[in-house]
Amino acid sequence: MANPLRSEVVRLYKNLLYLGREYPKGGDYFRDRLRAAFAKNKSVQDPEKIKEMIARGEYVARELEALYYLRKYRAMKQRYYKDS
Amino acid sequence: MAARVLMQCVRSVARPSLRLCSVNLTVRTAAVSNTVSHRSLCFSGDSRRTRWLEQSRVSAANIDVSCRLYGDLPPLTFDTIRDRVLYVLKLYDKINPEKLQASSHFMKDLGLDSLDQVEIIMAMEDEFGFEIPDAEAEKLMTPEEIVQYIADKKDVYE
Repeated sequence: MANPLRSEVVRLYKNLLYLGREYPKGGDYFRDRLRAAFAKNKSVQDPEKIKEMIARGEYVARELEALYYLRKYRAMKQRYYKDS
Repeated sequence: MAARVLMQCVRSVARPSLRLCSVNLTVRTAAVSNTVSHRSLCFSGDSRRTRWLEQSRVSAANIDVSCRLYGDLPPLTFDTIRDRVLYVLKLYDKINPEKLQASSHFMKDLGLDSLDQVEIIMAMEDEFGFEIPDAEAEKLMTPEEIVQYIADKKDVYE
């Protein structure tokens, strides 16, 4: 509870959960994987390691955003340029 | 949140345009009746009566419209908030609905962890349509506290 990085981790979890709702395989699938990933590292105490993992989580969030942009772009392209 | 903003936009757009419409209608009927009375005087009384009728009909429609809720929900009360909170919690798959009490602690009584608590808060945000800041969300550990918090934010008092 007293860990100062706790709020960071919670914020990251919430953020990823929001992003995961649009996941192509379904929000529930993403949520289960996300929970497993967080639960796997729940006993980590070293602040440096926690920071490293938060950075990793933020990288995943950016990747997800990129995935959605790409999906949107592809859908638009398919709609407007039938033959290409 | 978005739905509420949209509602308000629709409402604010709908009212002036209706008023405009009614003005247009009265102007048009006035114009029609003028031309009619120019052409033949014997119809002038008739047309004036129809104009009056039309005006009264338009104003009646206006009153009807302003009474409508436009799909907005009825105002929240303490009991409806409590019912909705408990309903959302019952639908959450890791909570046993029989064990659930308004005073049960998520971690101590229901055996959830902090990640579950984050998910519950997100579900509440979806249900009530506003965002709960992380700092405040951490302290909400029982359904009662959630009800109290939402009532405070939505200006609902007993």
